[in-house]
Amino acid sequence: METFLQYTIFGLVTGGVYGIAASGLVVTYTTSGIFNFAHGAVAMLAAFVYWQVRFDWGWPAPLALLLVLGVLAPLLGALLYGVVMRGLRGTAEVTRIVVPVSVMLGFLALSTWVWDPTPRQPRLFLMFFGADNTVSIAGVNVTYHELLSVVLAVVIALGLRFLFFRTRSGVAMRAVVDDPDLLELNAGRPERLAMLSWALGAFLAALAGVLITPIQGTAMRATDLTLLVIDAFAAAMFGRLRSLPRTFLGALVLGLAGSYVIGYFPADDWTWTGNFRVSLPMIALFVVLLFLPQDRLRGATILRTRERFRLPSVRSAVVAGLALVGVMFLVREILAPTALNYMAFSMTAAVIALSLVLLTGYAGEINLAVLSFGAIGAIVVHHYGISGSGSDARSTLGGYVLAAVVCAVIGALVALPSLRLRGLYLALSTMAFGVFVSNMVLREITERKLPLLHTEFSIFPSGNLTVPRPKIGPLDLAAMPTFLMAVTVLFAVIGVGLVALRHSSYGRRLTALKDSPAASATLGQSPVALKLSVFMLSAAIAGVGGALMTSQLGSANLDRYDIFLSLSLLMLTVVGGIGYVSGALFGGILFGVAFVALQNTFDKLGVDYPDAEGLFDFLARFTTVMPALMGVSMGRNPTGAVEQVVREFGALRRVKPILVAGCAAVAVAYLLTRNDSISNWWFVVIVGVVVAAMPLAAKRLAPAPGLGPAPAPAGPASADGGDEMPLELVGVSRPFSPADRERLDRELGLPVGGR
Amino acid sequence: MALLEAQEITVRFGGKAALNRTSLAVEPGAITGLIGPNGAGKTTLFNVVCGLLAPQGGRVVLDGTDITSAPPHRRARLGLARTFQRLELFTSLTVRDNVRVGGEIRNRWSARRFGGFRRGHADAGDEADRIIELTGLGAIADREVSEIPTGQARVVELARALMTRPSVLLLDEPAAGQTERETEAFGGLLRRLASDGLAVCLVEHDMTLVMDVCRTIHVLDYGRTIAAGPPDRVRNDPAVLEAYLGTPEGVG
Repeated sequence: METFLQYTIFGLVTGGVYGIAASGLVVTYTTSGIFNFAHGAVAMLAAFVYWQVRFDWGWPAPLALLLVLGVLAPLLGALLYGVVMRGLRGTAEVTRIVVPVSVMLGFLALSTWVWDPTPRQPRLFLMFFGADNTVSIAGVNVTYHELLSVVLAVVIALGLRFLFFRTRSGVAMRAVVDDPDLLELNAGRPERLAMLSWALGAFLAALAGVLITPIQGTAMRATDLTLLVIDAFAAAMFGRLRSLPRTFLGALVLGLAGSYVIGYFPADDWTWTGNFRVSLPMIALFVVLLFLPQDRLRGATILRTRERFRLPSVRSAVVAGLALVGVMFLVREILAPTALNYMAFSMTAAVIALSLVLLTGYAGEINLAVLSFGAIGAIVVHHYGISGSGSDARSTLGGYVLAAVVCAVIGALVALPSLRLRGLYLALSTMAFGVFVSNMVLREITERKLPLLHTEFSIFPSGNLTVPRPKIGPLDLAAMPTFLMAVTVLFAVIGVGLVALRHSSYGRRLTALKDSPAASATLGQSPVALKLSVFMLSAAIAGVGGALMTSQLGSANLDRYDIFLSLSLLMLTVVGGIGYVSGALFGGILFGVAFVALQNTFDKLGVDYPDAEGLFDFLARFTTVMPALMGVSMGRNPTGAVEQVVREFGALRRVKPILVAGCAAVAVAYLLTRNDSISNWWFVVIVGVVVAAMPLAAKRLAPAPGLGPAPAPAGPASADGGDEMPLELVGVSRPFSPADRERLDRELGLPVGGR
Repeated sequence: MALLEAQEITVRFGGKAALNRTSLAVEPGAITGLIGPNGAGKTTLFNVVCGLLAPQGGRVVLDGTDITSAPPHRRARLGLARTFQRLELFTSLTVRDNVRVGGEIRNRWSARRFGGFRRGHADAGDEADRIIELTGLGAIADREVSEIPTGQARVVELARALMTRPSVLLLDEPAAGQTERETEAFGGLLRRLASDGLAVCLVEHDMTLVMDVCRTIHVLDYGRTIAAGPPDRVRNDPAVLEAYLGTPEGVG
């Protein structure tokens, strides 16, 4: 009885803290419509800052609390909303998910920058009032800290209730949820209220972070604290991300269940108990999803779609694919062995990113855990797709096919509960799945007897998964250059396949579903069936890509499939342009090469020039934050970087001399590298400079078309429409130009140019 | 016998009843009008009929089958098609592809329904060209839908709906944003569709069009049917006049 009480109290404590965190998530989500993936990251930052001032600098606790909870956290929340999130209203759901994810990754990078993740001494984060101050409740010793957590949870639950139903701001906040435009008409200020709620949300996250860190009792780990967001959203899901009382109830259920699992599962026999407890929120999430009522099918809710992807023809896709293979063939010749490795790794990442182009770019759905599907693909190939042994071991084509099939099936199981719901729910369940895979599946490193088959089996043998290079028929891909070419060809083939798919009836139906689920359904399209098929296809591609990635590495531990890496890959692909196959290439290469190469370069420079070591050290660390900054800035250009680059270079075609000169410079640099006159590094620098300079030079030299600013850029309309655009759309569909003004004057019968 | 019947539909948003035991019957081979002041519940009724909104009470019956709890795509497969007041075009596709995808979606389910024999399975591209010609969209067929004027976008919605070969067509303010000439042509097209046996239900504020083409008109006000009958009778119905013009005391 006493142990039961003990575990109950512990469950209430963690449940209370989950409740505090979850209520913050609900408050921000309901008032701004943006799911704050960085919620856990805010808790993490708060906990670290608190540790810094309280335990490292030795400030008194009240002062430290005032700083963290009273000043920094609300300020951070308000800033987050004002600077980043506010611009997301009316953008596509993908953007509204990727930008907060970028913020989360940015905070994580920031914290590892400031607080070394492997400190010489473990960071001690003590309980409030110390761990020795306890009260005895029915024979169980409860620390003041634990008691405080429960009391605070109750106070906050009641306080929020009061705020939302009894105060003017709170009632207005509820109105924001229902209809921000209407509230604005009635002299409410939705923007200010949303900012207020984000400040409140950040405060609640920070409070939860400060409370839970000493309870967990382990060393402070930035990633663990960041993943508090999953516990919080699992709890919030009980209240459908809306109802606060049910959210608190969900939090208590989760806290108690976790506590009883520790208490009553025989940990000695069931070695997976610990992993199971950590995965409990994810499992609960899936169960809750099954019981959520059907969402209303919505129309095109995006009021101002800013993403616009132009569709290349299959023929130009084939040409681009051939060009890619050709360029890769030439580049391969000059790459140093390490660079070759990075490049091959990047290309496997690019294959995985292709699965995102299909799912997110074409169908508008989101998978936040592609690498977890990659891990499953790798596990399948490891177990069922290897022939030969020792250095002769090769992975077989059959293994990869099987990996694709298994991933498709698992993808269906993951996606099915949430497909009838909004895109956000699918994103959240994939994220939960990713954490589940990392926590449970990839930690299955010991051999177990299978219940029915009675054979020994270990999913992730001894924590290191080996997948040898593939051999397909007579084609042995053991050597890295061959492997690189093979993966590049595979990328090109899948890429062309995707473009062809987008041109097919299936692709059009996907686009229709993405653009307006309601209209698509009233034409007879079953949304669930179509979404399911595309998710399965995408999971299959991710599985094959993941197996190839593991095969490139030779062997991989579970960190390679981490959820945060999945998120980075998604983010970089979106930055590149999620609607394009080239966006996947961009994302894969940034993921595999660019940042690693930059960081290595700065590290090397720091060693070479000790005087400027501080500067280069800063730059090297800055590169870890850079991807997140790119992701956040994406809110402004959701169509992606590739589109912009292509547009810039489109102008080059009119200025032949520059194009020729640029190509010549690259060719010379290539030849010099080829016969080892200059190093890889210089080649990259020269190509980079030339490529960056070409559009700039072209702009200078382009024949000026008379007076005034540049001619109206060839927007989508004037490019393919041919005839004049209706005047009412000028300035909406393409920028307003002087020519348009003249036309307007003409049609209105005003003297042209007279004003 | 009506092909589509909505019986005693009730919808409440919070405490406010948007529809209060409202009924509607749509007959084949004719155009049925559904009119009423703004906020009367016309679009809500359409959403209930096509399955985008679940009613708190009442039944929807299509060709003798109760479809009250069927999802939207199943209703479409039974022959129900609609257009939207707030345009729901597929903005990433051209006009032609918007129309074509309607046929491609239909080909998927019609093939399955007829047991794999591709009966009723026509090349969606050819059929789209035919419908585009019928609806007079030929000149803008290759434009992006985001660039065409609203009036024509509504015709694209109609063309897309026709690609499913519906037996009942619900049109939500199809003439809003159209020029007078466009509306005239549109009315002619509707009559032609009805004379081919289609059951059309028309929500519209353009009274000239409504009075011109409709055989029967239902008038909604505050979620209730206040009148129903042929145009002449409805036009002179005191309750209708009051709803549209207000009571003498209410003026001012």
